[in-house]
Amino acid sequence: MPSWQDFQPFIVTGLALGGVFSLSGVGMVVLYRATGVLNLAYGAVGAMGAFIAWALINDHGWPEGVAYLVCILFGGVVTLAYGMAFGPPLAGREPLVKAVATLGLALILLGAMSWIWSDKARSMVLPTTKEGFYVGDVLVNYTQVIGLALGIGVTAFTAAFLRYTKLGTGMRALADDREITATLGVPVRRVEAAAWFGSGILSGAAGLLFSNLVGLDAATLTFLVISSVAAALIARLQSLWVTLAAGMFIGLVTAMATPILSISQYRDMAPFVIATIALLFLSRHGSLATAKGAR
Amino acid sequence: MGAVDTSTPPPAAPTSKVRAGGRRLQPNEIRGLIAMAIVVVIALAVLPAILSVYWVTVLTAVAYISVTALGLNLLMGRVGLVSLGQIAVLAMGAWIFSKLSFSTGLPYPIVLILTGLITMVLGTLVGLPALRLSGLYLALITLMLAGAITIALRTMQFPNGGPGFLGNDPNSSAAVRRPSIAMSDPAFFRYTVIVCLIMFLIALWHVRGKAGHAWAAIRQSEPAALAAGVNITLYKLWAFALASFMTGVAGGLMASDVGRLYAISFPTDKSIVLLAVVLMGGIYSLWGALIAGAFYSLLPALLNDWGLPADLLTILFGVGIIQVLLTAPGGLAQQFPRDMKNLGKLIMRLFRRSSAPPDDGRAPA
Repeated sequence: MPSWQDFQPFIVTGLALGGVFSLSGVGMVVLYRATGVLNLAYGAVGAMGAFIAWALINDHGWPEGVAYLVCILFGGVVTLAYGMAFGPPLAGREPLVKAVATLGLALILLGAMSWIWSDKARSMVLPTTKEGFYVGDVLVNYTQVIGLALGIGVTAFTAAFLRYTKLGTGMRALADDREITATLGVPVRRVEAAAWFGSGILSGAAGLLFSNLVGLDAATLTFLVISSVAAALIARLQSLWVTLAAGMFIGLVTAMATPILSISQYRDMAPFVIATIALLFLSRHGSLATAKGAR
Repeated sequence: MGAVDTSTPPPAAPTSKVRAGGRRLQPNEIRGLIAMAIVVVIALAVLPAILSVYWVTVLTAVAYISVTALGLNLLMGRVGLVSLGQIAVLAMGAWIFSKLSFSTGLPYPIVLILTGLITMVLGTLVGLPALRLSGLYLALITLMLAGAITIALRTMQFPNGGPGFLGNDPNSSAAVRRPSIAMSDPAFFRYTVIVCLIMFLIALWHVRGKAGHAWAAIRQSEPAALAAGVNITLYKLWAFALASFMTGVAGGLMASDVGRLYAISFPTDKSIVLLAVVLMGGIYSLWGALIAGAFYSLLPALLNDWGLPADLLTILFGVGIIQVLLTAPGGLAQQFPRDMKNLGKLIMRLFRRSSAPPDDGRAPA
């Protein structure tokens, strides 16, 4: 068993990773609550954004800040476009059909990415990664700080937004009943569009951070979505704060397994194992039966 | 409940009181069986003789992938369960087959059946949560298990005659064995086709029999099926067991075909691609599985031959998923005969207009 010293750097990695898991988990939960769509293309959208930012910086010499902004906006625009085109025709179908349809978007983006950018290995280093400070003996860089802070900040902001703004109230109403909400005069399409765009922005931001923390690889980034789904599932696609906690937990467990040699190689299985156990546990206690629509 | 809405139910589930197995064949079923026989005869007698070894290998892949697709086709089309991890199950089958064939000296067919049975047990274990969770949650659990299996395989690699339980020796280049009667590529292709034919017949027998009717009832409405006395737990598990058995056998054939397996050939996105091709092929017909196999294995080889990037296909499959869900729940297996019939009518009409004396008036379709 490694000593405590060995674990310390991985706590930092884990918290940063967990923060970004939470960030994308929250984005997925918000979209699911407002539209009933579990967006499995979340990772692919973020990955494509990150690749575009990389290409803008390295092939076209754009200033870094602008490229990052393009990445985040790309997430918002693509997600919004998908939502506007295919949200309404699928609105009446089961959540499973809506989720499977987003896999179509994921494949399209994945195919495009490996077509355009599969020639060589690329890496994304945000300027904030180059600078850091020491906590005890552990070097913490600012990208990791941003990951953790953004995870917590976005959760708090979104919770407040849903609670106190008119648009947020509209989204919560949609989560309860789409028809009645429409009858009450809430502009359903506009509220849904806001949810698609907002969650898309978060996917772009998460993609940018992941590409730095994990690596710029199309398939890896696309299927990191499974870890975020795991966080969202533990929260039963409902609670933002549970999503945050679950994301942090998953990030920490994954990173902390690194120094333990016997399981180090299997550490990436952690999110799936945790989520599967959580799902089976929740289903035993009947809590999932009350989770709206996902039956 | 299914990936596709149930407004176009399959032609199963007749309400007649005749015992299911003894039901007489419908004309369209006879036509289907004849078509199946023609396909098999062509595959066995003609194709290995006229094609190069490369294309025979590609067609072998089409055959065992279509059995994998058949498993998913049954789960989605008949029972209404979606699995997003079938390629991981295929990898599992290939792993078990390699393990058994290196560490035991059993005859080939027995190893193949044992592989199917072990995969079946494991697949049924995965199916157990399906009894409580269904729909979206089940699909997500299968996606996660697929991710987990992929990661585990990346470390474990495939057995190749090395020491220990994992049996992987990085320096060994031993290939998984083939049946002694089918060592060459064309012979192994014929062997694969026959095994796959047996799998399709097992599927057909299930769909036409009691299980098929129970599945149809479950897919239409679980409460109604329960009220009608269908054992929902049993038949859902049965579907999982059957699909896993078939996928395990397909994995075994794949291991023999490829010889040296690497974890990198089973990425998670292949499971999604399989879902796409099964949907595009059509989930309400067993022909859909064959089309899916061709989409999955033949199209990339063709594109490669024409010098086009295979990534184009990934994009096409993505579009295909969305298109099937929006407009064509029956997939190609339903769409293609209909289109052909329409085309035939169109040609007939043009023909009639151009030449005044009409013949017997039957469309060539």
